[in-house]
Amino acid sequence: MPKLTHVPYYPGCSLKTKALGYERSAMDCAKTLGFKMHEIATWNCCGASYPLTKDNLMGLAAPTNILVEAEQHCSERKIDAQLITLCSFCYNTLKRTDFEFKDKPEKLETLNAFLKRSYQGSVKVLHYLEYLRDVIGFDNLAKMVKRDMSQLRVAPYYGCLLLKPHKEIGLDDPEEPVILHDFLEALGCQVVDFPGQVDCCGSYLIMRNPEKVLELSHNILQEANEYGAQALVTACPLCQSNLDQSEGERHGADHFLGVQGMPIFYFTQLLAVALGLDTELHQFEKHCIDPKLVLSTCFEDDAKKIESKK
Amino acid sequence: MSNENKQVKHVTMVGDRTIPPKDARFISIYIMGQRYKVPETLTIVKAMEYAGYQFKRGCGCRGGICGACGTFYRVLGDHNIYTGLACQTVVQPDMILAQTPFFPPNRADHIGLLKSKLPPDEQIATLYPEIFRCVGCGTCTRTCPMGIDVMNYIAFFKRGDVLGGAKESFDCIMCGLCVVRCPANITQMKVGMAGRRIAATRLIPSSAVTRKRAEQVRAGRYEKMLSELGQMDKEKLKEIYVSREREPNLSQPGEWMPKDQSHL
Amino acid sequence: MSDGYTPEMLDLIKRVEASRPQRLAEARAGNDFPAMSLDQRQEVLNQFHPDYTTEGRRSLGIGPNQKEVLPEELVDLLESRSLIESVKPDLSKPDMETDVLVIGGGGAGTTAALTAIQAGCKVILATKLRQGDSNTVMAEGGIQAADQEPDSPYYHYLDVIGGGHFSNTHELVAALANDAPMIMEWLESLGVMFDKHPDGRMKVRHGGGTCRKRMHSSGDMTGAEIMRVLRDESRNHDDQIKILAFSPAIELLLDEEGNCAGAIVNNMETRTYLIIKAKTTIIATGGTGRLHYRGFACTNHYGATGDGIVMAYRAGAKLCFMDSVQYHPTGTAYPEQNVGLLVTEKVRGLGAQLLNIDGEQFVFPLEPRDVESSAIIRECLNLDKGITTPSGRPGVWLDSPMIDLLHGEGTVKRELPAKYIQFQRFGIDIAKVPMLVYPTLHYQNGGIWIDEHSRTNIPNLFAAGETSGGVHGRNRLMGNSLLDILVFGRRAGLAATKAVKNEVKQGTLSLDHVYHYGKTLVESGLDRGMKSPMILPNYAIDEVKNRRWDVQSPII
Repeated sequence: MPKLTHVPYYPGCSLKTKALGYERSAMDCAKTLGFKMHEIATWNCCGASYPLTKDNLMGLAAPTNILVEAEQHCSERKIDAQLITLCSFCYNTLKRTDFEFKDKPEKLETLNAFLKRSYQGSVKVLHYLEYLRDVIGFDNLAKMVKRDMSQLRVAPYYGCLLLKPHKEIGLDDPEEPVILHDFLEALGCQVVDFPGQVDCCGSYLIMRNPEKVLELSHNILQEANEYGAQALVTACPLCQSNLDQSEGERHGADHFLGVQGMPIFYFTQLLAVALGLDTELHQFEKHCIDPKLVLSTCFEDDAKKIESKK
Repeated sequence: MSNENKQVKHVTMVGDRTIPPKDARFISIYIMGQRYKVPETLTIVKAMEYAGYQFKRGCGCRGGICGACGTFYRVLGDHNIYTGLACQTVVQPDMILAQTPFFPPNRADHIGLLKSKLPPDEQIATLYPEIFRCVGCGTCTRTCPMGIDVMNYIAFFKRGDVLGGAKESFDCIMCGLCVVRCPANITQMKVGMAGRRIAATRLIPSSAVTRKRAEQVRAGRYEKMLSELGQMDKEKLKEIYVSREREPNLSQPGEWMPKDQSHL
Repeated sequence: MSDGYTPEMLDLIKRVEASRPQRLAEARAGNDFPAMSLDQRQEVLNQFHPDYTTEGRRSLGIGPNQKEVLPEELVDLLESRSLIESVKPDLSKPDMETDVLVIGGGGAGTTAALTAIQAGCKVILATKLRQGDSNTVMAEGGIQAADQEPDSPYYHYLDVIGGGHFSNTHELVAALANDAPMIMEWLESLGVMFDKHPDGRMKVRHGGGTCRKRMHSSGDMTGAEIMRVLRDESRNHDDQIKILAFSPAIELLLDEEGNCAGAIVNNMETRTYLIIKAKTTIIATGGTGRLHYRGFACTNHYGATGDGIVMAYRAGAKLCFMDSVQYHPTGTAYPEQNVGLLVTEKVRGLGAQLLNIDGEQFVFPLEPRDVESSAIIRECLNLDKGITTPSGRPGVWLDSPMIDLLHGEGTVKRELPAKYIQFQRFGIDIAKVPMLVYPTLHYQNGGIWIDEHSRTNIPNLFAAGETSGGVHGRNRLMGNSLLDILVFGRRAGLAATKAVKNEVKQGTLSLDHVYHYGKTLVESGLDRGMKSPMILPNYAIDEVKNRRWDVQSPII
């Protein structure tokens, strides 16, 4: 058994609760792709939103603590300092903190003095998608795909935090990104390019103004549907939740009469399907629109599984 | 009758006094701003008593476990704030200290704590929603005199791992120093208390063996044999005592049984 | 880490390390240092136990236990006048009335309160310091209960009575052993985190003098864990339990027929007294460690001054076994700042051995405590094979590093977290180097006489916990005190409830017994101008005492 590359992992709160399926599918795929995600021993909530103020440094305390733990984790194991994330909110917060420290080292100094820690600024913050693109390589990924995904028409949905602000994140073009497109192509799916892919789903407005979220998400879903998508992929637990809920609303009573909605996959859930892995524990059943229904129209064995469960 | 004449060595017993080394100097400390000269090597509690304070508040077990004597201090010339337990911290020259024997806590109503229908993680979130206001600054961890990673146990509760939070917070002596300093106004120690009780009753399996024995006791199973022991004469009792079988030190749980099982 | 020890001590520790491999091999093979026979036990006690001597003791000249030879410090308190005599409070208008007045807010008092409210009684709990400030929180290693399969209350009874040298009161021992499994079930249901195996079975160990493993523990802070849970639970019922903190009781009230009718309680902060009329009163004021018999350091909390004993005695309560005090064999002897503090017996339960200056064993590690203490005193003061600290104190080694070697690395930190931190603060890593220990004043074996329902000889007055006597006879085993307070706290609560339900006839409140007591002291020439109860120990140095207006009672 070849040794799996050790990649330090920061889950963030959602990955342990509502987005458990995202974590599980990501971890299972990682093993097949040759790496193991190791949760760092001590971690706290990243704060979710990067602070909007310039001089109140308190908001950077939480992400700094995480980065220090990651740095320590790596130095103990004598490996390059990096940290992989799945949640786009966490990715965004950590990446922007990292940028701020590189841009203004005096802020890092202040935070270190306050926290009584000495973060050296060495940790490279990665998104799982980034790892797939830059370390594994989409070409290699394509070679590992086991199932014929060509029947599935999937729209890539990027959301906001994965890409913006571009200067600080730098993952991909913020207006015309391609990373999820390339990912889906590598899997062999039919990629449904649609304009709403970088429109905001409503984000944390779901707390105070859920109608707005329904409206914004609704527009995205409507558009994706018009362009022929059977499903969407996303890389953010909040986007997944907002879109999934809205899709459920969109079909309302019809949904329960068997009108098929569009499932909102976490990209790793779809990856697991493509790699031929067992998806039993990837929490498909927790989605509002169960992905298994769409998968069964594309894959005979999935259809059989559904039949046998009835 | 004295058994003192059996002793070869004699030692003076001085009650609660600390015996400072012969070359101990006198140092200045500032008790709530007032300067006093006390011998080195005393703990804060004993130094304050040396100076003439008679504690009503701020002193409890004198052994580092009850949390009564939480103390903040600085040292002249050093801007940092330090914390410690007055009964365990040795005085330093130019130490400026103040105790916080009480600080207003926020305590949720624990009345239905053990019978809640909510899942444990939601229970904590309902009792103490302020934990989600934690900014992750770690001030609580840096304040704790018991070396507990307080931020980490709050983090466990925030992400729904009540058992993890219970274990991480176990050493807490409820001194409240973290509560004084938290910028988000969380009362960490109360959250930990609720979390531990919830974990112990809802997440850790209960002891079936104990329940079974308690039922046997309630049914009066042991009354007769205990009463018989009470009526025995002393010599017979001593005989039984001396000849009773001792469970081996390294016996495995639930495996060893005594030869005589008639009194179980 | 051992920078807390002096170079000389580190040198001596080398002898401990040299003898360790052999000792470990013997321990693993199950070969213990031989235990003493009953005769050998009696011999070492007679010759070396601090109780078995008349030094520092004198005859008590007043009250139901007159003529008993007891420690001087205690007799001083019992032969003292009341704090309230000069005040002569007007008892016709009580400030508060209640069904059950609990005096003392430790494990016994809180359990009594929680029990009494089950039947709908209203409770006032008056405590000298904060609720929970007690010896309960200082109990470390465990609580005994015969719940495991190879055990039963029958064997628990034998261990208790043998450990007490067969002097214990039968009914009390039977109650203790019998109720124990129910108490464990109750504690578990309240949410106490006991050390458990993954399937929920509680981890159990031997303690001194046990024949079955029945010591349940919660790390090395069993008492603290139990107390904080009980306290949290009692705060859930603040409509039924009213807590008066920093309010020591200073005298009991009787009625004209000699029934207990409540108490006078003094708020230490406002320095005002309250007259509390109660249908039943439960004394749970704990021990007397802070009297420092014969100058011994103690393991007790700040308030362990025997207040309840004094008040009850003045009211005519019988005491028993007050001549018997327990010295815990392993009190801290170093560092100097922590002298006297408890090092739990659990350390020996986990396999650590006691060693003299040569690194050799000299006693079976788990003898009953008085025997163990006497053996250590003999080793140090008679055979002169102890270690002397820089302050001149004697001690013997307690080889704690054996624990990790026997049970796996990390055991010490996991099983003894509070002890670990306590020594670590002073630069001593007890997983790597042994501790230095010496007997320390620990527990009041005797106390107010009670029957198996926690009733004293005064109607409507109950007592529970360390303040009461007879359960442990002349020597208590480890883990039975935590049990005692809960068993008898509960029984006191039940008995008080029963009395309340059966209609307590309340007469006129009176302090005549106090005035009479004072008069008797004067007439018999015993009055030395002292006042009691002590409330809090006075640790001021002479220079300070000489400059105080009120030397007698700076508290009230």
